[in-house]
Amino acid sequence: MKLVVKNLKKNFENKVVLKDINFEFEKGKIYGLLGRNGAGKTTFFNCLNEDIEIDAGEFFIEDNGKQRKMEAEDIGYVLSTPNVPEFLTAREFLKFFIDINKKRIKNKKTIDEYFEFMKIEKEDRDRLLKDYSHGMKNKMQMLVNIIANPNVLLLDEPLTSFDVVVAEEMKQMLREIKKDHIIIFSTHIMELALDLCDEIVILNKGILEEIDKNNLDNDHLKNKIIDALKEEN
Amino acid sequence: MLKTFVTSFKLQNTYRTNSIIYSIKQLPLIKRILPNRLYSSKGLKTFAGIISILWEIISIFIGKIIYIAAMIFGVMSWYKTNQADTFIHLFTFLTLAGGVLNTYMLNPTKDKYYAIILMNINAREYGLSNYYYQLLKLIIGFLPFTILFGWMLGVPLWVQILLPFYILVTKLIVMNYILYKFKKNKKAISENLPTKFVWSFVGACLLLAYGLPFLGIVINSTIFLFVSIIAILLGIYSLIKIHNFKEYRKMYKQILTESNVYMQEKANGTQAMKDNSLKQIELDAKYTSNKTGFAYFHDLFAKRHKKILTEAAKKQSAVILVIITAMIIGITINDSFKTKTNEFLLIYLPYFVFIMYLINRSSSVTQAMFMNCDHSMLTYRIYRTPKVILGIFKERLKTLITINLMPAVLIGGGLALLLYLSGGTDNPINYVILFISIIAMSIFFSVHYLVMYYLLQPYNVSTEMKSSTYKVVQWLTYIVSWYMIQIKMPTFGFGITTIVFCIAYSLISLFLAYKYAPKTFKLRI
Repeated sequence: MKLVVKNLKKNFENKVVLKDINFEFEKGKIYGLLGRNGAGKTTFFNCLNEDIEIDAGEFFIEDNGKQRKMEAEDIGYVLSTPNVPEFLTAREFLKFFIDINKKRIKNKKTIDEYFEFMKIEKEDRDRLLKDYSHGMKNKMQMLVNIIANPNVLLLDEPLTSFDVVVAEEMKQMLREIKKDHIIIFSTHIMELALDLCDEIVILNKGILEEIDKNNLDNDHLKNKIIDALKEEN
Repeated sequence: MLKTFVTSFKLQNTYRTNSIIYSIKQLPLIKRILPNRLYSSKGLKTFAGIISILWEIISIFIGKIIYIAAMIFGVMSWYKTNQADTFIHLFTFLTLAGGVLNTYMLNPTKDKYYAIILMNINAREYGLSNYYYQLLKLIIGFLPFTILFGWMLGVPLWVQILLPFYILVTKLIVMNYILYKFKKNKKAISENLPTKFVWSFVGACLLLAYGLPFLGIVINSTIFLFVSIIAILLGIYSLIKIHNFKEYRKMYKQILTESNVYMQEKANGTQAMKDNSLKQIELDAKYTSNKTGFAYFHDLFAKRHKKILTEAAKKQSAVILVIITAMIIGITINDSFKTKTNEFLLIYLPYFVFIMYLINRSSSVTQAMFMNCDHSMLTYRIYRTPKVILGIFKERLKTLITINLMPAVLIGGGLALLLYLSGGTDNPINYVILFISIIAMSIFFSVHYLVMYYLLQPYNVSTEMKSSTYKVVQWLTYIVSWYMIQIKMPTFGFGITTIVFCIAYSLISLFLAYKYAPKTFKLRI
């Protein structure tokens, strides 16, 4: 399965943010999306998530050679600021999410199993989400998006609010689930991208390009990425 | 301090100017034509700047004239007491209520938040200079109208001139008291979240203001002079204390929290008070639900927001019961009251459109839905699929209608009962029409607000209202409901029209919501 983006354009009035995006994201890989501040990473995600209208181009899912529209169920989007309904407990939130995604969930587990999977402690499971810390809310947001089992998972700076231990756990978890998903992961932290991602993609001047990792050691790769990011078109 | 004031004035003006440009840009159609460059266009900036300053000048007067005209001058005909004295009487007590409700200093406005919290401007200089400016505006704004209305009612000239100063010193005394309390217990409360004590005090003032004249008791100018002299002495003392108070920064840090400031932004005018309950949402885990899916989700929302949902409606119902009982007693003991009530019920049904508008909770409930639920949930793509949106919409519609029906049934039933007890009607169908048209109005407002919310979803992710269209619709709803007060029409004709209109409107708008909400119900970016 592939997510194909073709000639995607997005302007905010006269400011060109996404000039001409052409890319194919494949299942089973984690893509590290790097870009400078204001490069348009979040805009790109917002376009894919249909939060904003695109000006031109298209994106679709290609499955066994067949093209189809990307539906709401295909996409999960974890924002950098966690958004969870504060009036529910973690357990209730999961229950609701499982209820509405019932048909799509493969290998349904019990709620507690999901909590185990995300390493959410027993005593936290029945607490209201409003009392959760920033990092804990982020975990929940990640968890529900994973439960919904979308084909495409967009992660916007998701690991920055986690402590080192949780961040390691999350990385491990992403590696475990990547075989069934297309994961696009935006970040400013190059080490994280190099460590976790299978492919490095750079968004610069409204264009998306892949960095060829072949035969480069980490230092050379870093320099190559920085050069690419600095590049003026 | 003058420098701080000039800076703050410029800051406020820039903010207002940009808001004006922003609102213009939000209007449907116009937004497509106007570019973002507008914010840097000098000509338009000057234009918006002039509007902003004009508004500043107009706002000095407009609130004051409405206040005196509506709260004081407008009710003079209720009383048989001496008009000049009644004017002074109402003014004296209402000023006390206003003094505790509106202190200026403790109002958590956005400009204060920007200046003191975000830009680190000296809190004491900012607070004080703006406070003095507000007080100056108060004198300038009130003086022409105390003179005008005072002159019309034969109030002595010295009282006409003294009245604005009386308001001023009342504000100073209250402010000093608040600062004194703050020094003692280090707790400052935003004035948009009045305590029970404040409400009781305001209630007592209103009762004394509007109640005593019915009993023939009013303050005359001599008593007013005496009260004023004491107030002025206390006021001068308070002014010195306020001026020398050192802990403004600490105090503002407590008041200018994001939730206070943004609540102010969302709630307009009187709603700021009505909706302070939004803050007291009961996030109590003990409520659970055995439903599933959307029903489960919504059920928990409703249970944990009982205070603003059902409890408010229960309180309304209690008040309505009291009023109806009082009316029934009135009818039984007073014959002229009985005939008047009967007449009233048969031609004043349009009046109830406005009453139903006032008591309908939907506008604040949808606000709570956004702030405490949709605000976070709309970021999930799955929540925005037609199935989920419409599923939850249906649950919400049921709840809203049920909540609002509670007081509506009482009003409808009460009116029919009153009609019967006050002598009845030749046409028995009037009973049915009274009842059903009130119910229809209630359902209409519930549907109206919820559909508008789903079709225009006016908020962005930081819960700021970003849709001029939504505001226009809110205003239109108000104006149309208010206009109904002026209309006198036989209950039979008006009732039938209302029922048909409400049913048609509800059906059409529900159809639109089902068709378009999956597209329109999303966060504004």
